[in-house]
Amino acid sequence: MNIQTTNAPLARLTTGIAGLDEITGGGFIAQRSYLVRGGPGSGKSTLGLQFLAAGVATGETSLFITLEEPEARIRQSAEVRGINIHGVEILDISPGSEFFTDGDTYDIFSPEEVDRVPVTNQIVEKVKTLKPVRVFLDPMTQFRYLSSDAFQFRKQALSFLRFLAEQGCTTVLTSEMNVSQPDDDLQFMSDGVLDIDTGKGASQRTIAVTKFRGSDFHAGTHTLKLCATGIDVFPRLLPIEQKTDFIYESISSGIPDLDELLQGGIERGTVTIITGPSGVGKTTLGLQFMKEAAGRGERSVIYSFEEESSLMLKRCDDIGIPARSMIKQGSLQIRKVEPLQYSQDEFARLVREDVEKNNTQIVMLDSTAGFALSLRGDEMQSRIHALTKYLQNSGVAVIIINEVSAVTGDFQITEAGISYLADNVIFLRFLEVKGQMRKAIGVLKKRLGDFEKTLRDFEITRYGIKVGKPLTGLRGILTGNPEFESLSH
Amino acid sequence: MYSISPRVLAIGKNGRNLEILVAFLEAQGCSSITAKGLSALDEKLKTESDIALALVDITDFDDGIWQRCRAIHEKGIRLLVISPRPCTETQTRSTMHGARGVLVKPLVMRELSALVRALLAESAASFQ
Repeated sequence: MNIQTTNAPLARLTTGIAGLDEITGGGFIAQRSYLVRGGPGSGKSTLGLQFLAAGVATGETSLFITLEEPEARIRQSAEVRGINIHGVEILDISPGSEFFTDGDTYDIFSPEEVDRVPVTNQIVEKVKTLKPVRVFLDPMTQFRYLSSDAFQFRKQALSFLRFLAEQGCTTVLTSEMNVSQPDDDLQFMSDGVLDIDTGKGASQRTIAVTKFRGSDFHAGTHTLKLCATGIDVFPRLLPIEQKTDFIYESISSGIPDLDELLQGGIERGTVTIITGPSGVGKTTLGLQFMKEAAGRGERSVIYSFEEESSLMLKRCDDIGIPARSMIKQGSLQIRKVEPLQYSQDEFARLVREDVEKNNTQIVMLDSTAGFALSLRGDEMQSRIHALTKYLQNSGVAVIIINEVSAVTGDFQITEAGISYLADNVIFLRFLEVKGQMRKAIGVLKKRLGDFEKTLRDFEITRYGIKVGKPLTGLRGILTGNPEFESLSH
Repeated sequence: MYSISPRVLAIGKNGRNLEILVAFLEAQGCSSITAKGLSALDEKLKTESDIALALVDITDFDDGIWQRCRAIHEKGIRLLVISPRPCTETQTRSTMHGARGVLVKPLVMRELSALVRALLAESAASFQ
C-alpha cells in the first residue's frame, strides 16, 4: 500500500495529483471516504481515475464502481487522458442498452424494491472478493433513487461507507450536486469534501477542500486544470509557506546618482514598485538593476504581460543594456505571458518553480495592469500579495512595474490598490518646465532605510539611463506642472 | 412462506414487469405462470386448471381486458387488478368485473405479499 506518513499518526494515500496532495496535507487519509462534488464535465471522474491509477502504480488493488458510464467508455476516456488504468477492476452496474431497446423498463415496483438489493449484493461480493485498497464510486447520488426516502438513503449510505472502511478501503465518491437535489447529507457523512467549481467556465475550474476530518488543509480555492494527462491542481500560494535566511543587502543600480537617491539601492527580499505613466522608462529602470545584478553573476527574470520579448530586446539594444548577452549567459530570462495562458495560481507556481530551481534573485512583473488582465481568476490583490510575500521570504528582490493612466496631473502611486505591498516606491514623472518636457525620478517610500527627498532629472539615452543632480528650486512637482520658486513670487 | 404451493397467474403486457412479479411470487413460495397479452391469457385460461389467484396489470390493454377479468372471475379465480394510476373508472369497472381489489403501481412488496397471502388462504379454505 502506498501510504505516505506525515507528522500526524494517520496513514495517507496519494491522490495521484501532486497539487491535491499538497492541499490536503499529504493525500487522503487511509480507510476514509471523500466526496467530490461538481457539475457535469467538471473533472470528477478524471480525479477518481487518477486516484485509482496512483494505487495501481504502486501495486494496490483498485476498484471503480460505475453506476452511470459503461466500462468500455471509462477505459477509453482514461486512455485518451493517458491515465493507465489497466490494472483497475471495474464493476459496471450502469444500465446496458438493452434496458431501452428490449423494453427492460419496469414500473410494477419502485426501483428501491427491485434494484437496491441486487446492486448492493454485487458491490458487497466484489469488495469482499477483491479486497481493494482504493474504491471510486461514480456517482454516489445514483443510490438516492434506490432509497424510498431521505432517512433510508442516509442510513444506507452511512452503513455502506462503514462497510467499505471495515474492508480496508479508502473511498472516493462523486456527487452530481444541483439545486433540486442537494447533497448535504452526503457531505455530513463523508470524512472529506472537495468542491470542483466551473462557475466561471471550463477554463476557470477551481477546487476547494471544504471538509477534511483528522487533518489540516489549505483552505480557499485553487486552480484545477484538465490537461492532456488528466487533472493538474495548482495550490494557491500562501505567503507564510517559506522563509529562507538571507541578508537584506542593497542591490546597486550601477548608476551612482540613482544609488544616491535610493541611499544604496534596493534591498534583497523587498518589493519595489516603479510607477509612472506610459513611456516614461519604468521597464528600462527595472532592467538597469538586472543589468547590474548580471555583472555579479545573479539571475533575473522578467514576466512581461504586455510587451513582446523581441521588442524589449530591441529597446535594450538601443540604450546599451546588453540583454541579449545576459540571456546567453543565463543571467536574464524574459518570459512573455500570453493573455489568459495561465490562471493566477498556475502563474504563481511557474514563478515559484523558477526561483527554487534556478536561484533567481530578481523578479520583475511588467505590469500590474497586465497581471490583472492576462491571468485568469479574481482576487488579483490577494494573489499578487501572496506571490510577492513568498518571493520576499525567499530573499528575492521583486520589481513591480505599475502604469498610471495620467501622464501629468494629480499624483497617484498606483491605481491597482497594491501600494501597501511596496517596501520601496520609485516614481517617474513627466514634467513641463519652461515649455519643455522633462522626466523626473523620485523616491516616495523606502521601508529599510532613508532616501533622498528631492527629485532628480531622469533621462534615457543611447548610452543608458542618466540620473541628474537633485531638482531644487521647483515647487508643485507632484502636480506635473512645476514652477521655479523664483518665478512664482 | 405458504404451506401449500398454489399457482398464481400474472397477466400484463410489459415482459420485465412480469419477470419481476414472478421472481417476487417465487420468493414468497408461490408457483406462478404468466400471460403476456390477451391471446396468451385466453390460452392459459383454456389449458390451466389449478390457478388460485390472478394478478392483472391492465396497463396498455384495450377494453377486451375487462371481458377476460369477467372470465377469470367466473372460473372462481380470485382476481386483483393492477392499475398504472389511481382512477375511479378503473375502480368501478374492476369491481363490476369481479376484482377483489385495485392496486396502484408502484406496488409495495410488503402489502402485495399480505394481500396474496390472504387471498390464497381464502382460496385454499374454499376448497376444503
